[in-house]
Amino acid sequence: MWAVAMTDTITAERPRAGMRPVVADVLADLGEQFPDLMVLAADGHALAAGFARRFPRRFIDVGIAEANLVGVAAGLARDGHRVVVGTMAPFLVRRAAEQIRLDVCRPGLDVTFLGVGGGLSYGTLGATHHITEDLGAMAAMPGTRVLCPVDRHDAAWAVRAAVRHRGPAYVRLGARDDEIVFQGDEKFSWDAPQILGAAGPALVVALGATVGDAVRAAERAGAAGLPARVLALTVLEPFPTEQILGAARAASTVVTVEEHVAASGLGARTAMALAGRWQGRFTALAVDGRAAPVGDRAELFSFYGIGEDTITRALVGPETDPE
Amino acid sequence: MSDRNARNDAAPRVRDRTDVAAALRRRILRYAAGQAIHLGSSLSVVDILHTLGCRAGLGPATAGNRTRDRLVLSKGHAVWALYAVLAELGLLTADPPPRLPGHPPEGLPGIDVSTGALGHGLSIGAGLCESARLAGSDRRTYVVLGDGELNEGSVWEAAMYAAHRGLDRLTAVVDLNGMQQEGPTSAVLDLAPLDEKWRAFGWNVRTADGHDPVSLTAALDRAESQAGRPSVVLATTVKGKGIPFMEHSSAWHVGVLDAAQLAEALAAVDSTGGSDVGGGHD
Repeated sequence: MWAVAMTDTITAERPRAGMRPVVADVLADLGEQFPDLMVLAADGHALAAGFARRFPRRFIDVGIAEANLVGVAAGLARDGHRVVVGTMAPFLVRRAAEQIRLDVCRPGLDVTFLGVGGGLSYGTLGATHHITEDLGAMAAMPGTRVLCPVDRHDAAWAVRAAVRHRGPAYVRLGARDDEIVFQGDEKFSWDAPQILGAAGPALVVALGATVGDAVRAAERAGAAGLPARVLALTVLEPFPTEQILGAARAASTVVTVEEHVAASGLGARTAMALAGRWQGRFTALAVDGRAAPVGDRAELFSFYGIGEDTITRALVGPETDPE
Repeated sequence: MSDRNARNDAAPRVRDRTDVAAALRRRILRYAAGQAIHLGSSLSVVDILHTLGCRAGLGPATAGNRTRDRLVLSKGHAVWALYAVLAELGLLTADPPPRLPGHPPEGLPGIDVSTGALGHGLSIGAGLCESARLAGSDRRTYVVLGDGELNEGSVWEAAMYAAHRGLDRLTAVVDLNGMQQEGPTSAVLDLAPLDEKWRAFGWNVRTADGHDPVSLTAALDRAESQAGRPSVVLATTVKGKGIPFMEHSSAWHVGVLDAAQLAEALAAVDSTGGSDVGGGHD
């Protein structure tokens, strides 16, 4: 029922590639498929380059004005267009939250929001460019699907799926090169998260860009005598409650890891899913409220305790730290 | 393409404009009997909305027509004026009337866009114009803004955008009653020189008496005859217009009428000479 992909032995990080080029190709294809598709940007063309070349009349750059960006998208969608809005995640989700909620999500319009640089992806650009509450904020919008793809292969699927779906959706994309976790031949779907590794006494539920670290941590835990499986989540809304419960049943330890705050994210949602239906040791690894130091994304993962080492410790416990 | 015949059908044919203004106000006053509503700005904008509703061809036969002109009430709190207009135009006829929300809802015939948070309507109107232009339609979109609403920065994002894109089928009408919740707009956050601001943003600017359909229509006609840029009509109005004890008063920004106040207000409307024939009693 679920796509099962056994991973190769992990000895090092896999190759890296940005999500934007592949998403740009996907948007150009979707433009062919949906003659009413519009793509809107706010002074950033990387996502829409191919689409804009092929369909110049259906591409609009509104300038650096996110509230107007979403309002114009709402007007187009209200008139029957499918609309993709692609811009930097922190400014889209935080600044235009009211327009997103009232003008698009409440009336259930066909707008897909592509948030570039969600989470800590902008690294050294600092706090203004980080957004670790976007997924929870968008999941709180009525009737809105929320996707946080793992890598470029997953991002291609996520953008296609979100645009084909009728109704509002949000897809968090990386800003820089992301680790390529999947082979590219996986069958992604709305309701079947990828399962990496064999069932064991521990389960890591990892979201988006944390999956690579989670897989390496699971392998280290296995080497330390605690086999762990990774459930790689892309879809946060609708939340895969039954899939998580099913995967957790075989485990006595569940660790969630996300590049997001726990309160409105994977940690809280998983705890709600498991409450009263599962017993064991539960740890939620997430970004906390401390100000970020200057660092790239990997350094920030380490600072906030959502990277490989912390996940490993959460699985095997400090007293049996394999290091 | 706009249906000019529908416009004529929807226009009031029997009653003169004094009668229409009075009938609209009777409806608004009755909405305020026993519930707090945004009275002052509903009374200031209602003649603008009626003129635009007729101009856009709003009526039972056209409400669901995708090619007709669009009307967006960006200052959604004045929805009671819109309800009164929809009722006058035959679009809100349930008797007794349904329980109506305090801002324009989804799904009510004649309401093209749900609004209520200020500063959203002009952007949505611009999007509707983009869509019409792509479809080769000359459909027009009217967006009604409050002057207090112009405090919102998003209005000016949309203003800059619409001019940059040459959206000449977009017409904004500002209900210039000079008041906002806590007092005169000049005291809260001064808008002057408002005509120069819009002009500097690249818009055709006209002025009108917002309570006079003839003045409004002339300003709209002149503004819309200029191609290549969006138009705005700065329509001077009186907050609480038609009810002496409410006029120019921010105290009636939100108000509820008791029986005595309702009677006094209705008597004031009756004294304007408008007959109560043809509507206003439901």
